[in-house]
Amino acid sequence: MLSVRGLSVRFLLPGGRRIAAVTDAHFDVAPGECLALIGESGCGKSVLVSALLGLLPANAQTAGSALLGDLDLLTADERTLARTVRGRRIGLVPQSPAAHLTPVRTIRSQLEETVAQLTGVRGRAALRTAAERAAERAAFPVDHLDRHPHELSGGLAQRAATALALVGGAPLLLADEPTTGLDRDLVDRTVDELRRHVDADGDRALLMITHDLAAAERVADRVAVMYAGRIVELADAEAFFGAPGPRHPYSRGLLDALPDRAFTPIPGMPPELGALPDGCAFAARCGRATDLCATLAPLTGPVACHHPIPAHDGKSPSTAAPEDIRA
Amino acid sequence: MLELRAITAGYDRRAPVVRDASLTVAPGEAVGLLGPSGCGKSTLARVAALLHRPDAGTLLLDGTPVRHWRHRAPRAQRTAFGVVFQQPRLSADPRLRLTDLIAEPLRATGRREEIPARVPELADTVGLTPDLLTRRPHEVSDGQLQRACLARALVLRPRWLICDEMTAMLDASTTAALVAVVEDYRAATGAGLLAVGHDRILLDRWCDRTVHWDTVAPAGKEGAVPATPGR
Amino acid sequence: MADTTVEKTNATGAAGAAWRGHGAARRSTHTLRLRVSAALVAVTALAVLLVPPLVQLDQQAVDLSAKLLPPGWSHPFGTDDVGRDLLLRCVYGLRVSLLVGVVAALTATVIGTAVGATAGALGGWVDRAVMRLVDTVSSVPHLLLGIFIVAMFRPGVWPVVVSVALTHWLSTARIVRAEVLSLRSRPYIDAAVSGGASRWRVAVRHLLPGVLPQAGLAAVLMIPHAMWHESALSFLGLGLPTHTASLGTLIQGARGSLLAGQWWPTLFPGLFLIIPTLAIAGLAGVWRERINPRRRSELML
Repeated sequence: MLSVRGLSVRFLLPGGRRIAAVTDAHFDVAPGECLALIGESGCGKSVLVSALLGLLPANAQTAGSALLGDLDLLTADERTLARTVRGRRIGLVPQSPAAHLTPVRTIRSQLEETVAQLTGVRGRAALRTAAERAAERAAFPVDHLDRHPHELSGGLAQRAATALALVGGAPLLLADEPTTGLDRDLVDRTVDELRRHVDADGDRALLMITHDLAAAERVADRVAVMYAGRIVELADAEAFFGAPGPRHPYSRGLLDALPDRAFTPIPGMPPELGALPDGCAFAARCGRATDLCATLAPLTGPVACHHPIPAHDGKSPSTAAPEDIRA
Repeated sequence: MLELRAITAGYDRRAPVVRDASLTVAPGEAVGLLGPSGCGKSTLARVAALLHRPDAGTLLLDGTPVRHWRHRAPRAQRTAFGVVFQQPRLSADPRLRLTDLIAEPLRATGRREEIPARVPELADTVGLTPDLLTRRPHEVSDGQLQRACLARALVLRPRWLICDEMTAMLDASTTAALVAVVEDYRAATGAGLLAVGHDRILLDRWCDRTVHWDTVAPAGKEGAVPATPGR
Repeated sequence: MADTTVEKTNATGAAGAAWRGHGAARRSTHTLRLRVSAALVAVTALAVLLVPPLVQLDQQAVDLSAKLLPPGWSHPFGTDDVGRDLLLRCVYGLRVSLLVGVVAALTATVIGTAVGATAGALGGWVDRAVMRLVDTVSSVPHLLLGIFIVAMFRPGVWPVVVSVALTHWLSTARIVRAEVLSLRSRPYIDAAVSGGASRWRVAVRHLLPGVLPQAGLAAVLMIPHAMWHESALSFLGLGLPTHTASLGTLIQGARGSLLAGQWWPTLFPGLFLIIPTLAIAGLAGVWRERINPRRRSELML
């Protein structure tokens, strides 16, 4: 479905400074699969989403490729992206639905507009039924369609935004921090619904960007961990959250920081994206760092580390197999 | 002792957000206030921090009722509270460098001479490196900014800490780090804590006692809180 | 997007990677607009500052033998109905108009900011009373009010300044008050209150610096408006004495000859009014984009 190869994004700032927001990202999202991209805020996750949608600001540069089918999203021109990709082949579930929806128009008028734009349905009655069907698909109550965004609760606004993302029948859903600031119950409901849309038509895929590990655990088939612009671990969700556990020291540290686990923070802070070290960016905070860490560890197999935590210190030794990278 | 008794508060007298809420925090105690978003728990936290005048009810601070809020409250009383909010971007003045952000309460209370000692010490406590201190809010990440906001809340050595969804926007590691800073401070000074949040697991782990909004404000606002008395 | 240059550089990764830029075309009109506006404003400022000390203008001198000459080599803008050189009079007129515009706009902004910030920062009944006063004043047509104020004084530059300033602080007051109200509800004001800051300190340290860019923008946008008002007052014969060159008096004096087919005495003062207006508006537009936080954060990643 989506195949990202060596995707890098950097920003040129006034004064010649360069910020490497995303460096050399490789991953695939298969139909019917949910990949959760995990990382703390400011590690480059949202930039990755913008790059995939062709929404980078003017001072950004990209390298590598991101193939959606046979179309490279990074080199496609604005016309192609606007007419055939956004909404039609990639649906975006936004970070804050309340800000994503136009405040002065009802949900119905926004849905009808999107339906008319994306599906070519014409005629008032046809649009009306199509919009209602779209709302039902996202479990948005039809009797709330005539409300304005500020009259909706957070959960309903999220469903309205999801309904908009689903209108074009896009085979790839991009969810950019869909659960930020929501209650735990609402987080669970939101990610369950996203999962349902993946499972409903078996060939839909979901790339969810989040810093909420619990939400990722609930929804994801595979997990990619991003640190300082690089993907440092790519593993099956079950193995990652379950028995063998994560193998990169950073991922392990993140899980250990959860309040239902050890609740101990990783010491220090992530490095600046503008001044990354030559070697492993995590070495300064890593308890297992050695001299070898002054050089960069490539993402070979599931983890980009010179000294990954052995896979067999859990119960089942062979779950984290290197087949995670589908080359 | 921080006692909130039958507080009714809101932004429109006809439709108060908080109705008849009562809550007590003992000195040195950490109380977690758990509730769904939009239920009014942030408003109650603002009342407790003397930042929002309630329409009815009393707030007892060490046994004496509080009569004035915001600017009218005696300075010693309002600086006894350290407040941290949910969104660091909105709770930091965008024009101040982080070091000025942290030092601002010292300047405002005329204790300028403590700045050279206190600010680096606190920056170190919350894990901010010296080069970050010279930056402005838009040049640092959310997590770094929230660290600075926590340092600002601690700079006057408050006896009470009010953390309103302090970690809702942060990743797991930063959450754990900030909670550890708060707990270290409380262990050293014996300050009380009111932590507002919607994550039961976090509040259970963090606080001595977690109370649910339904038990704090049993009357509730119709519709916002489902009437489930059997909590 | 795709037509932008492909640049070869060493990637931080293993091998060299081809970096592609995005959307470079959008910026060029932006910088072009900025440069043209800045150049025009600079030329205007230089002209009104340098020309009068170098070339003296006798406001009263007439030369009826050279009256109403069309534009030519000796008089690039032609002459008016009493034979005065229009180019020189236009520059002098622009000088007076700009002086009135800048001083009046600054005064109006200071008044407006003070009133708006007071109303917004104090809130409550002060806010309501002040804003009702603003509403009352603005319910009188401001040209009428301006005429009334000018009529109380002897004709001259300063009555015009006072009149324009006193009728134009209302919009600034509204803008500043709205901005202060929106800033006042930010958590960082709560944090300052909790940190022991007094009302005065909150206003001076946190609220005023936050509204100054907006107020400054309002002031810049008001300069052309004030110039137009000066011209309008002078055109009505109420502002400056008729022999003093100002853009308004120039156009007013040329009204008669326009009907006889002499277009230049009205066209050039009109252009002198319109071109600085557009240039200042262009600069203000760039400034507005700069203080727009979304754009700034976009540049910051």
